[in-house]
Amino acid sequence: MARNRTYNKRNALIVVVIVIIAAFGLTCRLGYLMIFKSEEYAARAEALHERERVIKAERGSIYDAKGTLIATNKPVCTISVIHAQITEPERVISILSDLLGLSDEKVRKRVEKVSSIERIKSNVDKEIADKIREYDLDGVMVDEDYKRYYPYETLASKVIGFTGSDNQGIIGLEVQYDQFLKGIDGTILTLTTAYGVEIENAAEDRIEPVAGNDLYISLDVNIQQYAEQAAKKVMEAKSANNVKLIVMNPQNGAIYAMVNVPEFNLNDPYTLIDEIADDYAGETLSNEKMNELLNGMWRNACISDTYEPGSTFKIITATAALEEGVVKLTDTFYCPGYKKVEDRIIRCHKAGGHGSETFVEGIKNSCNPVFMEIGARVGVERMYYYFDRLGLFVKSGIDLPGEANSIMHKMDNVGAVELATMSFGQSFQITPLQLLKAASAVVNGGTLVTPHFGVEIQSSDGTSIKALDYPTTEGAVSKETSETMKQLLEAVVAEGTGKRAYLPGFRIGGKTATSEKLPRSSNKYISSFIGFAPANNPQVIAMVLIDEPTGIYYGGTIAAPVISELFDNILPYLGIEESYTETEIKEYNIGSFTVPDFVGKTKEEVKELLKIYDFGQLYPTGEGNIVTEQFPLPGETVDKDSVLILYYD
Amino acid sequence: MSRTVAETNQRKMHSYYDYSLLFLILFLVCFGLVMIYSTSSYNAQRLYKDPMHFLTRQALFAGAGIMVMLFVSKIDYHIYVKSLPIIKLKPITILYFLCLSLQTYVLIFGNATKGSKRWIDLGSLGRFQPSELTKILVIVFTAYIVNLAPKKLDKFSGFIRVCLFIAPLLGLIVIENLSTAIIISVILVSICFVASKKKAYFITSGLMLVGLGLIFIFCFNSYRSDRIDAWLNVETADNGYQILQGLYAIASGGVFGKGLGESMQKLGFIPESHNDMIFSVICEELGLFGAFALILLFVLLIWRIFIIAINATDLYGGLIATGVLAHIAIQVLINIAVVTNTIPSTGNTLPFISYGGSSVMVILFEMGIVLSVSNQIKGEK
Repeated sequence: MARNRTYNKRNALIVVVIVIIAAFGLTCRLGYLMIFKSEEYAARAEALHERERVIKAERGSIYDAKGTLIATNKPVCTISVIHAQITEPERVISILSDLLGLSDEKVRKRVEKVSSIERIKSNVDKEIADKIREYDLDGVMVDEDYKRYYPYETLASKVIGFTGSDNQGIIGLEVQYDQFLKGIDGTILTLTTAYGVEIENAAEDRIEPVAGNDLYISLDVNIQQYAEQAAKKVMEAKSANNVKLIVMNPQNGAIYAMVNVPEFNLNDPYTLIDEIADDYAGETLSNEKMNELLNGMWRNACISDTYEPGSTFKIITATAALEEGVVKLTDTFYCPGYKKVEDRIIRCHKAGGHGSETFVEGIKNSCNPVFMEIGARVGVERMYYYFDRLGLFVKSGIDLPGEANSIMHKMDNVGAVELATMSFGQSFQITPLQLLKAASAVVNGGTLVTPHFGVEIQSSDGTSIKALDYPTTEGAVSKETSETMKQLLEAVVAEGTGKRAYLPGFRIGGKTATSEKLPRSSNKYISSFIGFAPANNPQVIAMVLIDEPTGIYYGGTIAAPVISELFDNILPYLGIEESYTETEIKEYNIGSFTVPDFVGKTKEEVKELLKIYDFGQLYPTGEGNIVTEQFPLPGETVDKDSVLILYYD
Repeated sequence: MSRTVAETNQRKMHSYYDYSLLFLILFLVCFGLVMIYSTSSYNAQRLYKDPMHFLTRQALFAGAGIMVMLFVSKIDYHIYVKSLPIIKLKPITILYFLCLSLQTYVLIFGNATKGSKRWIDLGSLGRFQPSELTKILVIVFTAYIVNLAPKKLDKFSGFIRVCLFIAPLLGLIVIENLSTAIIISVILVSICFVASKKKAYFITSGLMLVGLGLIFIFCFNSYRSDRIDAWLNVETADNGYQILQGLYAIASGGVFGKGLGESMQKLGFIPESHNDMIFSVICEELGLFGAFALILLFVLLIWRIFIIAINATDLYGGLIATGVLAHIAIQVLINIAVVTNTIPSTGNTLPFISYGGSSVMVILFEMGIVLSVSNQIKGEK
C-alpha cells in the first residue's frame, strides 16, 4: 500500500477549505434571504396561506310609523360536510337525511364526494341546525346566516321590496335605502393548506361586521291593511285588472299607504301570483318571459305607470283659473252637451248637456264644456305655468326607485283643441302620484310637498343616524284659491258626482274621474277618485284607481265608495273626530240615549217604550210575557239604532 | 504505579475509533427523522391516513443503515480490494460490474418518475436507485485504482486513465440523472486531486469541463434549459414554483424561525417537502440559527472525515475518506444551493436528513467505511 504523503494531506486540506468557503458563501446567501428578503417573501407566503371568509353584516330592519316590524332577518343555517374530516359517514348520512328531509342517496352522494367542502343544504331553520349541531358530528359544518324575512308577507310588497341572495335590495325601499340597510360585511382571515382546508386553531384576523341601520317609514301597517282590504274588495267585485290606492298626509307628503293589488308575497318573490300564473296555466315559460312577468308583478304602478287622469285633473284646471282670476264662483255657463272647439265637437259626459249652470255647479257636475271654457280663458302659457308650479313636469321625488315622469305636449304644439282636452284631463299622461302631489298642494294651503316613506334612519341600538327631510315649496297655490278649492271639492262630495264618498260626521272633499283608456275605441276605463278629509283642514288625502272595471265603470259610482269605506275606518284611527251637523243627526238618526229598565215589563209595555226610544233591531227570546233579563243593561248609554235583546220567562 | 509497561503500551497502541464522528452521524440521523416527521406528517395523513407513514419507513431504513454502518466500520476496508479466496475475484471488481449491469438495467426497465428512469421497483421494500450504490463503488474503486500507481497521477494522462475506468458508469448515469453524474465526477476529481502532486491540469481540465457542461446544458437538453430559465426567473417561470415556494419558506423563517412543527409551507405548498426541499422547511421552522447550526454540523462532520483522511494509515484509506468527504460536501452544498436558488434546480437529497431509504443507507455505509478507516489508525493518545 502507498503511503499517505504530506502533499496528499495538504491537498485534502485544500478540498476542505474550498468546502468551508462554499458553505460560508451559502450561509451568507441564507442570511440574505432570511434577514433582508424575509419580510417581502413572508408577506407573499402569507398571502398564499390566507383565505378571506366574509361574515355577512346583518341587514337593518324596516319599521312602520307605529314601530311595527315589517322587514327583518331570520337566522338560517347552511349545512356542509368536509369529506376529509368525516369519521362516521353512515351516521352522518342517516342523521342529515333524516333532519333535513333529504333522500338518503342525495346526502350520500355529497358525503362521499371527495372535495374540500360540499354544501348539503342552505336556508335551514335554526332549530333544525341546532339539533344537527348537538350531535357534534365530525366533518359536519353548520354556518349561520341571515335570510330576509317579511312578517306581513304581501303587505305593501311593491313598496317595501325584497333583497337578493347577496343581501342587496332588488326593488322598492330595500333598494332606495340599501346603503343604510346593508351594513358593512366583516371578514375572517383564516390560514389554509394548499388544498384549501382551514387550519384549526390558527391565529386568525377577524374584522367584525357592522350591522345595517334600521329604517323607520311613514307607512302605517293598519292603514295599509285597511286600504288593501278595500282595494281588494273592489277589485274582486268589479273584476278589475288591478286597483291602486294611495293614502298620504297632504300637509307633509308622508305616505300612510300605497296599495297595488294584486300584491305578491315578499318572502317568495320569484313565484308568480295566481292572478298572473293562471293566465299561463299549462304553458312552460321561457326564462325571458318569466323575467318579464316577474318584473311586471314587481312593478309599483302608482309611481311607474302613467295614465290620462280625466276629471280628477279638473282640480288643477279650476285652480289655475281661480289663480288667474279668469273665473268667479258665480259665473254662469251653458252646456248644450258638447262644445265646439275650432272645427271639433267635444262632448260632455252627459248626453243632453247640463244646461245653464254656475261655475260651482259645473264642478259638482264635472261638466266638460265648463272646464274647456275656463281652460281657454287661462290660455296655454299660463296653464303650463301652473302645471309647472304644481310639479307636473317633474317626477314627484318619492323615495322609491323606478318613478316615471309625465308625458305632456310641447307647449308650442298645444292648439285650442289640445288645450280643451287637457282642461278635463285628456291627451296627456301623468302618474297617479304626481296628481296626488298636485292635489295636495291645492288643498293644503298651497305647499308643494314631496311624497315620501322614509322618516328616520336609526342604528341598531336606537340612536338616530339621520332624520330624513324632503323639499317643500310654499306658495305653489295662493291661500285664497286653496280655501275656495277645498269648499268646491267638499261640495262635489256633499252634493255632486262624488256624493258616494260622503261619510256622515266627517267633512270630505273630493273629485271623481272616469278615464277612457287608449285607444278610446277599446271601451276600457280607469275609474278613480281623489278624496281628502277633513275638508276644511285636510289631514289625509287618498286616491284610488280601478283599472278596467267590468260593468258600471263611473268613478263616482264605484271609486268614491272605496274612499268612503277607507275613511270610515282610518279617520277615527288617525284621531280625526266625527262632528255631526244638525241635518246629519236628523237624517242619519245620530245620537245616544240611556237604556230604560225593561225587566218586569209586559210585552205591551215594551211596545210602548220602544216607540219612545230609538232602538234598532229587537231580538226577543223566550215564550212568556214578562221580561226577565235585558241587554244592554238599564242605565247604559248606547248609540241610536242599537240592538236590543230581551229575555221573556 | 500499578500499571505495567506492557499494559501502558497496549493502551497506547489500541485501535482508534472516531466516536465524535459516530456521535455527529447519529445526531444528524436523529435530527433528520425529527424533521421528516415534521415535514411529512401532513402529507402522510392526507395520502395514507397515517401521519407516521414516512417516519416509520425512514426510521426502519435509518436503523438498518446504522447497523450496517457499525458492521462495516469493524471490517478492514482493505478487504474490498483483496481477491476472494475461491473465485479469485476482488469484491470491488464484482461490485463494478454489478453497478454497470444495474445502471444498464434501470435505463431499460427502470421505473420512470417525473420523466426520469432512475429507480428499480423492489415491491414492498420500496424503490432502489442504483446510482446511489454507484457512489460507494466510485469512492472505493477510484481510491483503489489511484492507489495502484499514485505517481501516474502527476501527469494528465494518469488522470485520464482513472477517468476511463469510471467513464462507463458515468456515461450510463448522465443520461437520466445529471446531478448524480456531477456528484460522481466531483468525487472522482477530488480523489485524484488529493492523490496528485501537480495541480495545473486540474485547473485547465476543470475549466474545460465547466465549459462543456454549460454547452451541454444550454444547447442539447430542453428539459434542463427549462431549469435554467426557472433559476433565472424564479418568480415568473412556470416550473419555478417549487423553488419559489421553498424561498417563501426559507424567508418566512426569519432569524429564529416559526418553531418546530409550525411550518405553513409544508402544508402542501412545497410538493414533497420531506424530500429534496426539506432544508427550506428546516429554515422556516428553525430560522437562520437552526439552518446555520445544521450547516455547522455538516462542516464539523466534514472536518472529522478530513482528520481521518489525513491520519489514515495509508493512501488508500486517506483517499476513501476523501471520496466520502467530497460526496457529503458536494451533496450538502448542491442541496442548499438549490433550495436557496443559488444554482439551477437539480434533484439532490440532503444527506442524513432527506427522506429516502437508499440514500440514507448508502451514506451510512460510507460512514461505516470511514469509521473503518479511522479504526485502522493506531492511536497514541
